Amino acid sequence: MTPDVLVAIIGMAAASYACRAGGFWLMGFVPITRRVRAGLEAIPIAVMAAILAPVAARGGPAEAAGLVAALAVMRATGNDLAGALAGVAAVALVRTLAA
Amino acid sequence: MAEDAATFTSAGLRRGARRCLALAAASFVYGIGFGVMADHAGLALGEAVAMSALVYAGASQVVALGMWDDPIPFLAVWLAAIAVNARYLLLGAALRPWLAGLGPGRAYLTLGLISDGTWALALRERAASGRDAAFLVGGGLALWVAWVGSTGLGHALGAVLGAPSALGLDFLLPAFCATIAIALWRGRGDLGPLLAGGGTALAVAALIDGPWYVVAGGAAGCLAAAAGATHDA
Repeated sequence: MTPDVLVAIIGMAAASYACRAGGFWLMGFVPITRRVRAGLEAIPIAVMAAILAPVAARGGPAEAAGLVAALAVMRATGNDLAGALAGVAAVALVRTLAA
Repeated sequence: MAEDAATFTSAGLRRGARRCLALAAASFVYGIGFGVMADHAGLALGEAVAMSALVYAGASQVVALGMWDDPIPFLAVWLAAIAVNARYLLLGAALRPWLAGLGPGRAYLTLGLISDGTWALALRERAASGRDAAFLVGGGLALWVAWVGSTGLGHALGAVLGAPSALGLDFLLPAFCATIAIALWRGRGDLGPLLAGGGTALAVAALIDGPWYVVAGGAAGCLAAAAGATHDA
């Protein structure tokens, strides 16, 4: 393991622990308002959209097909991995057909 | 107070592990996906396993892989980890009344192992008059073992599969982000943060090199949701 990777992982571990323990700790000092709650709850979905938007904007037909397949299978099955694999399969298929 | 007092027993620990087995199975499947992606992003087996063992937060680990580069963009990776895990602040806050009586040592150990699923099951348990906070530790450990083990398996699988773009494996990460977004979707109220996150990311990605668009998108979604929330009474 390179020192850089170790430092990155330890920083991430500190971040996730601070979030897990921080709310319990903070409750001793500040009330969590409805506004704060709504803001915190919305972050994960916004981050996922942020990762996907450039992929969707820059990607070609293969990536578009992959996104549609992933979303459709996820909605139908409720299974993360099944949806992701369907997306990968669609991308591989369109690339093979286009090649 | 006395009848409400939290307990912390090995029976509670075992019960938590048992009741969370289905969650652990789901975590196992997800961990295989993470392991494949970690291999693809260039992490060594030990690095991928260490990340799962120490960070133990799937969505933020997937986000980190999306930003992984040489050199590693440390600050952006750490800020993104805080952003994606910030929802844990709420889970921990909700546990205050239950865990405060345990003493800081046990409380902060328990908090280190919480995840969305075990937290929800534990609160249901508590509502049914369960007082044993070790339930959270047992459930958390079951998920941790599944997550760390499957990361290693997935990484080995990814190394065997090799050949990335023809198999479409480079698309596994965006595909996972799309399915995570569906899993997180609670209703039309999430549309604002989703559009704010995506739109801000596009704008920032066009202006600034590197993975900052991810952090900016998360911040924009947070502000959009906070602005849209109704005032506290």
